[in-house]
Amino acid sequence: MHESETSESITKGSPEDKNTESDGKGKSSTSETSGKQKLCSWLNKNFKIEMTDGRVLIGVFLCTDRDGNVILGSCSEYLKPEDNGVIEEPRVLGLVMVPGRHIVSIHLDDITNCSGETM
Amino acid sequence: MAALATEDVASDDLQCGMGIDSLPTQPLHYNWVDVTDEFFSAVKGLELGQLLHDDLFGLFEAMSAIEMMDPKMDAGMLCNRGSKATLNFDQAVEVGALKLQDLCLAEEIGIIDSTLSCLVSWLEGHSLAQTVFTNLYLHKPHHIEDRVMKAFSISIFKIVDIIKDFVNRALVFEEEDFQPMVYGYRLVPDVSEPRTIGMLKEVEEELHRRTRSKPSDLCSIDEHEDVVALYSRIKFMRLLYQALVCLGRREPVGLGDCHRLLAGCSELMVTMQKTVGRGLQPEVESDHPAIMGFDPLVNQRLLPPTFPRYTKIKSRVEALEYFEELLNRLKVVCRITSHSSFHSALDFFIEFSQHGPCILSRSILQLLYLPQCNRVFGTFNFVDVLRDAAKNFIFPPALMPKSTLLNNTQAKEYVETFLNHCVRPFASLVQLCGHNRARQRDKLAHLLEDFATLQDEAERVDAYLHNLSLKSDSPRPHLACFGTWILYHTLRIMIMYLLSGFELELYSMHEYHYIFWYLYEFLYGWLVSALSRADTFLMEQEAMAESHRGRGAKKNKAKKKKTRPYGREIAMYQALQNLCGGFYKAMVGFRLDGKIKLPHTEFDNEQVRYEHRFAPFASLLTPPPMQYAEFQDMTSLLRYEKAPSSTNLYLAGCQLFHKARSMLETINTPDQEVSDLLKVSKTNFVVLKLLAGGHKKDSTNPPDFDFTGHCHFPIIRLL
Repeated sequence: MHESETSESITKGSPEDKNTESDGKGKSSTSETSGKQKLCSWLNKNFKIEMTDGRVLIGVFLCTDRDGNVILGSCSEYLKPEDNGVIEEPRVLGLVMVPGRHIVSIHLDDITNCSGETM
Repeated sequence: MAALATEDVASDDLQCGMGIDSLPTQPLHYNWVDVTDEFFSAVKGLELGQLLHDDLFGLFEAMSAIEMMDPKMDAGMLCNRGSKATLNFDQAVEVGALKLQDLCLAEEIGIIDSTLSCLVSWLEGHSLAQTVFTNLYLHKPHHIEDRVMKAFSISIFKIVDIIKDFVNRALVFEEEDFQPMVYGYRLVPDVSEPRTIGMLKEVEEELHRRTRSKPSDLCSIDEHEDVVALYSRIKFMRLLYQALVCLGRREPVGLGDCHRLLAGCSELMVTMQKTVGRGLQPEVESDHPAIMGFDPLVNQRLLPPTFPRYTKIKSRVEALEYFEELLNRLKVVCRITSHSSFHSALDFFIEFSQHGPCILSRSILQLLYLPQCNRVFGTFNFVDVLRDAAKNFIFPPALMPKSTLLNNTQAKEYVETFLNHCVRPFASLVQLCGHNRARQRDKLAHLLEDFATLQDEAERVDAYLHNLSLKSDSPRPHLACFGTWILYHTLRIMIMYLLSGFELELYSMHEYHYIFWYLYEFLYGWLVSALSRADTFLMEQEAMAESHRGRGAKKNKAKKKKTRPYGREIAMYQALQNLCGGFYKAMVGFRLDGKIKLPHTEFDNEQVRYEHRFAPFASLLTPPPMQYAEFQDMTSLLRYEKAPSSTNLYLAGCQLFHKARSMLETINTPDQEVSDLLKVSKTNFVVLKLLAGGHKKDSTNPPDFDFTGHCHFPIIRLL
């Protein structure tokens, strides 16, 4: 119940924001909403997150919050390739939460652009 | 920027390559775009506490996510700590960190002792991946060229395999006892049992030859000691393996061999303990053996994402102590074969379980007694064993040899069906004794439901046979024969259930009085009367048999009458009944004196607690469960004309403890249990006497209950 309400407020909230905000703040609110829209558009896409200890996680982006904590589904863990180039097999982790403060970089698997190449 | 970007691309390619190799189901190509900055500026737009997610994903799902970079949840984090990469077997051999041949004696002894420590840690409930398999030599035992190490490694695999088999077959383990996972390691199924023993023997003989050459100088004295140490370890491995194989044989065998092997192991253990200081020792004290061949993290990535986490490996000294105790336990376990009657076997199981034995000895005991369900020792039908148990318990006329009752087909069918129905609950009772103590309580509660059904059936069969018997030529009452037998077991289960709460420290002090009240007023009383009934029945039967046989053995008869068959057991339960009575009176006295802190009823209602404590008894009809109202009625001090003071109660308790003591003193050949109980009743007698005399009358300090002398019946101390 509660969760679905929040998700509704995210999607529904955006047009209202535009209307209610005063002109002075209008600019920032549009950037905020576009930020939210962007995040929403990334949901259920593949993310690659590098963590502070060098491990790389690849999984489906499911959830985030203001501190940049990210939940990834069906996640696999890859170790940093060693100096001699040996790469170990990934380890399947499943559902993980990566605290925002441990995230070094985030990559998105952009399927809109490359669809032409691979298909 | 540009440089960064190209680097990114390069690493992306690498990642893609990996994806193809290992996860063929993944999309072939990722088109990675760096969105780090975009992402972090976008999340700024969310409000505090707001979560951005899909409709299908909610907080509930989020809860089960494991948190990365949390040392308790993230098993993979450990691998990345420090610069030293973990090496697998081949890598370690390549860089020379792992010797495959020409190991020195000290190294061999060190590795053996550390592996034994790992084995013990596994037996105490840790995973194989974090214990035994941190030994790199076990990763590729066939590649080891050193014969000692190879034979030892293979024997470890064999022993792990056989232990795992015991535990899996006996099915008395829970997740907290044992981890059966092998993480894909193959426990050398290609090496046969005789081959393993042969390899160990070869090495053993060679070492034995070396021990015989007398040392001449100091240096070689040292070496000689090492050879002796190694020899005893290898021989120990062989004897232990053979003993386990012997115990695991499925066909019923005499355990003579096994006794000999276990005795041999114990002898060698002495030498091993003396030489535990020899051999390669880790440079720094740590929770894991840090010597050649061991790497605590080598399997870290095999562990499931959420894993118990930290494993402390036992020290070598502790591990050898464990083995010493294990050997003693196994010797005890072997004695089960001499308990052919069900009742003495059951007592053996209960007694053995009281010492909190390890999972291996518990499992082996189960398998020795009931290797397959329904077959005691693999040879006798469990139904027949139970039939004998019922017969010897109370001599039901229907089961007596010359009885004509079972000529009636209907009666025969009823008796057989009843006995067949007994099999499962009684087998569960035996199996339950193999579980760890905490789990037993839970299972006892469930077992009472089964016994309630059995009780009902027993009473019906009795009634039917009774009618039949009265109409026959030689009328004999058949009332409450099977019924008493089942009741006896039900009561014992109920008592075990209540007492286990003390052992597991579940009860608060303010609950003691109704627990002891229940035991004192009902359970022990009923148990004594059930046994007395059986006792008289047995004697009547015997007298009947005697009179049938004529007057030939008159003298014998006179002698027999003196010892009642259940005399000792009855005396014991009467003593316990009085003991519980003493505690009950003392507890009420303490309450009157305000020595016991009571919870506020609005937060912690006594009735709720009472009903919860005795909830499993609710399924029973015989004996009837006592409701809370009855408890209040019976224990109300208003029942007396003149309400007793705490002094009266202490005096009454005092007398009960005294009675318990004199009952216990009548038991001839007292065992440890009796002497422990004697000490409890004597001490408490003195304490209550002091209290009755007004000692510490005004103090509201709660008394202390000291369970160190006996796990169910405490010694009361005044503070």
